[in-house]
Amino acid sequence: MFTCKDSIHSLLEYVDGELSEAQAAELREHLRACPPCVDFLQSYKATPKLARRALVDEMPRELAGKLKAFLRTKLPSK
Amino acid sequence: MSDRRVPLTTDGGAGTVHTPAMSDAALEDRALLDRAQDGDMEAFEALVERHEDRLYGLALRMTRSEADAAEVVQDTFLAAYQNLKNFRGEAAFGSWVHRIAANNALMRLRHQRVVDAVTEELRAPEFTERGSLAEVPEVDWSRSADEKVLDEELGRAIRQGTDALPEGYREVFLLKDVEGLSYEEISEMMGISVPAVKSRLHRARLALREEIDAFYKEV
Repeated sequence: MFTCKDSIHSLLEYVDGELSEAQAAELREHLRACPPCVDFLQSYKATPKLARRALVDEMPRELAGKLKAFLRTKLPSK
Repeated sequence: MSDRRVPLTTDGGAGTVHTPAMSDAALEDRALLDRAQDGDMEAFEALVERHEDRLYGLALRMTRSEADAAEVVQDTFLAAYQNLKNFRGEAAFGSWVHRIAANNALMRLRHQRVVDAVTEELRAPEFTERGSLAEVPEVDWSRSADEKVLDEELGRAIRQGTDALPEGYREVFLLKDVEGLSYEEISEMMGISVPAVKSRLHRARLALREEIDAFYKEV
């Protein structure tokens, strides 16, 4: 019997479209009868999107200034 | 531990295909790159300014050290400049320097790494004996990914959750889900098989998903 555990273990390949037709059909059948797994799938797919937005860091301006100064000492000026 | 490096570090993506529809940003990069390749330092500095934030962000998340991240960015732009003449421009300048930076950060981590990834540290969903989810998701937070403004507290929780991912898992997650590298590129960069990359990515996503879920339960 296909369980939530099976469903969650196959999410990466499902999202990538790499499950076989038979495996994908089995997962879809489970999802039809299991709202918690549907919610889980949605949040699994949302996780990288949220991470991309959260992990934008600005280089501190002081550091950016030092980088510029460093590069000017290392690179030829033309 | 393999010390292989991805082969497109300095030649601008040998074998890659020129993208037919370049974005405005990529076209501006291209124009600056042409000038920089002719020795225009101002153009190169403009490229640095356009990419330093994102490179720093990647390096900071990978190394978890501001000092290391600053050095990674410095070394990356130095290497980029030194190899500018060889850069054939088949890949976007941004992709090229990001791969150099990722390699630099990985090399730095390899030198610092004392123990291999400890998988027990990873959070994961729990199941009943019958294989059902032990906890039913209480809040559907998936739509928050499409909201215009990202909640500041949530952003902090995600950064902490990413930093808490074990070595080996964090890098895979950042390179795939944030930088958009292919499984094959990550496999080559990290010296692990594609199935291992996928396994780590899946576990990292599950762990981070748990962190985000915990955040929403506390709100």
